[in-house]
Amino acid sequence: MTTRTSRRIAAFAAVPLVFLAACSGQGPGTAAGTDLTIALAVEPVSLDPCDTQDATNAVVLRTNVTESLTRIDPETGEVVPFLAESWEQVDPSTWRFTLRQGVRFHDGTPFDAAAAAASINRVLDPELNCQNLDQFPYPLTATALDAATLQVVSESPDSILPLRISYADIGAPATPAGEKTSSPVGTGPYRFAERVQGQSVTLTRNDDYWGQAGQATSVRYVYREEPSVRAGMARTGEASIAVPVSVQDATDDDRTREYQDNRVFFLRTSTEKAPFTDPRVRRAAQQAIDKQTIVGSLMERTGTPFDQIVASTVNGHIDGFTGPAFDPAAAEQLLRAAEADGVDVRAPIDLVTRPDLFPGSDEVIQAIHQNLQSVGFTVNILSLDTDAWLQLLRSPFPPDQKATIIAISHDNISGDASFSFPKYMAGDGSNSTIRNPEIDALLAEAEQAGGAERAALYQRAAEIEYRDVNAFLPIALQSKLLMLGPGIEYQPNSLTGVELSVADIAITTG
Amino acid sequence: MLTFLLRRLVTSVVTVVGVVVIVFFLARLTGSPANLYLPEGASPERYEQFNREHGFDLPLWEQFVRFLGGVLRLDFGDSIWQQRPALEAAAEAMPPTLLLALIAMTGSLAVAVPLGAAAARRRFRLADRVITLSSLTTASIPDFWFALVGVLFLSIQLGLLPTSGDATVASWVLPVATLMLAPVGVLTQVTRGAMIDALGSGYVQNARARGLSPSRLVYRHALRNAALPLLTVAGDRAAGMVNGAIIVGTVFAFPGIGTLIVGAVLNRDFALIQASIFIVGVAVVLLNILVDLTYALADPRVRIS
Repeated sequence: MTTRTSRRIAAFAAVPLVFLAACSGQGPGTAAGTDLTIALAVEPVSLDPCDTQDATNAVVLRTNVTESLTRIDPETGEVVPFLAESWEQVDPSTWRFTLRQGVRFHDGTPFDAAAAAASINRVLDPELNCQNLDQFPYPLTATALDAATLQVVSESPDSILPLRISYADIGAPATPAGEKTSSPVGTGPYRFAERVQGQSVTLTRNDDYWGQAGQATSVRYVYREEPSVRAGMARTGEASIAVPVSVQDATDDDRTREYQDNRVFFLRTSTEKAPFTDPRVRRAAQQAIDKQTIVGSLMERTGTPFDQIVASTVNGHIDGFTGPAFDPAAAEQLLRAAEADGVDVRAPIDLVTRPDLFPGSDEVIQAIHQNLQSVGFTVNILSLDTDAWLQLLRSPFPPDQKATIIAISHDNISGDASFSFPKYMAGDGSNSTIRNPEIDALLAEAEQAGGAERAALYQRAAEIEYRDVNAFLPIALQSKLLMLGPGIEYQPNSLTGVELSVADIAITTG
Repeated sequence: MLTFLLRRLVTSVVTVVGVVVIVFFLARLTGSPANLYLPEGASPERYEQFNREHGFDLPLWEQFVRFLGGVLRLDFGDSIWQQRPALEAAAEAMPPTLLLALIAMTGSLAVAVPLGAAAARRRFRLADRVITLSSLTTASIPDFWFALVGVLFLSIQLGLLPTSGDATVASWVLPVATLMLAPVGVLTQVTRGAMIDALGSGYVQNARARGLSPSRLVYRHALRNAALPLLTVAGDRAAGMVNGAIIVGTVFAFPGIGTLIVGAVLNRDFALIQASIFIVGVAVVLLNILVDLTYALADPRVRIS
């Protein structure tokens, strides 16, 4: 009798589980038909066309929902036509763009110069606080000369304006002027359909697209913070693409694809705080880090040891330059020499990082910490969330800040060093701890120059930093991994991190 | 009973307001979230504009007074991160969490009570040892480890369950199992202990001598007396489920208040942090009142006192 009652209760106990397990017979969902699911790490913060500087927003919107007048060719790094067919420089501050005809926004409004001008001027409205505004250092005005001709006048000569204009995603005239929108309307191959906050964004195919339409009829972006879950979704077919995935979750077959997004992992020392006030100490830190071993064993496919802070596609990259080699004995000697001159080389240093810097960054930072400690530095790892990390990255720095070495993962997809060097090297740069008048002068000169001269000036500034200043400890040129689901073909490129064009995704099986 | 309820409600209001006020100051200790929302290289003017727009330029006391005024009208302000009223976002996230917690707690009790009772009845025998070892194991396994292993094994290797999300009923299996893990272990142990005490008491011996069937003895008499400690621990665990569910949210991308709070903290969204904590506070307080009322139902002595 007792046994029977126990069984009854046990049976009751099992009801919820049995019910759920029975329902599981249907197995995982599949990315069936031509509806794609893309698993991302984080949700877009904003869906406004003027906030696409943030990669989390851009990866959903750019080249899918919204398009710009120009774009960067992911293969060559050149600025190429997009919604503009051509452009010309009328005078040092004025550019004219001839726009593509026959293009319509998703709401049916024709795309013309007036729409383009309104959209560009909207980005530049400081009241709107657009992310993309910071790609435009000089105030400019866009005016429609006629339906197909747009004139953009900059307050200061700007030789790379066609490149900058690629950061102005064009929204429909109906986009509210004085406030951000969460329902973007663009000209791209996919139109915004729905956003379920915290869960997904869905786009559907724009069958009236002016260019090559995508194969997928819709795409749903979902967010999975845990890298192994993202990868699992692609492996089981729940997701068509999972991006990014970590080395640990990568498969050995060609479903895991590698791509470089011109991203460099480097450390920045606080040159105004002891012991980094002494250049020998900064040099010692560089020579103390065994980047070959660390990158080779911990970053594997996602990194290559690197000696500069911009990739070779950026005009500030110095071909053939190699930084100081790993030499702990030399590092110790430099520290002893500095100590003999009264520098407090044992002063505590915070090695500042954040857990989401890149997959596996915690282990890399621990190895760097070990290297620095072993030559005599007193280092403490400080792992912060993004906001606290930003407070130590950007000036003005907290007055009570200790000496720091901050870990940075910086990308420059534009190919122009003006998107990196002024920020990190100039005396007034937001992320700079360098105070060097020679570098400042070269950067100011480069800003006004164009072509080969501009590149040469940036490279000279970089060389002074790398040879004499040594505020940076470059570690690795980074690569990222994505995983394709079954029946999906996509070839990532250098822009995949910010432009995952759904139209480029091929569905090879139903 | 009514007086008791009123007294509990008054103390609960004080508790919730206290928590919300503490959260207000703790959140603001981290400074303005402008760094997160403005791009690199943003001018000082843009920082000023951002702070002005969101009221972060005001002295702390003035922000606090405005905040309190809002709380009285149940207006926590707009979420910077989600760009909508914070209370609306928090209230939307609560039902999935409550449902998940309800299923997990019902399942935990349904598994733990019979197991604990069975172990108590077979004290020191093989069944007791197996149940005790199993329950200690489930109570000790880290939930994040179980969640990830569950995904790797059941979803990726065997393809039985979806890895994440909440789209199908099957999606709920792993989150529910993860949430049930520790409570099942703990509640089994609590039931076992309480039942051993109850089964050794005089009235049970007396009932046994009168020839009551063992099942009636256990489930009608002993279990009812063992219910009080069980209710206490179950109530505490249920509050933990409402409060937490963070692992479930993070690993399985299960929408709920845990995920929302983590997101709000990472995005320095003060309004959303406050609204979410308020909602969770109210839920936990109501749950505690419910547990107190259940005490009274289970034990007449509590009713009288």
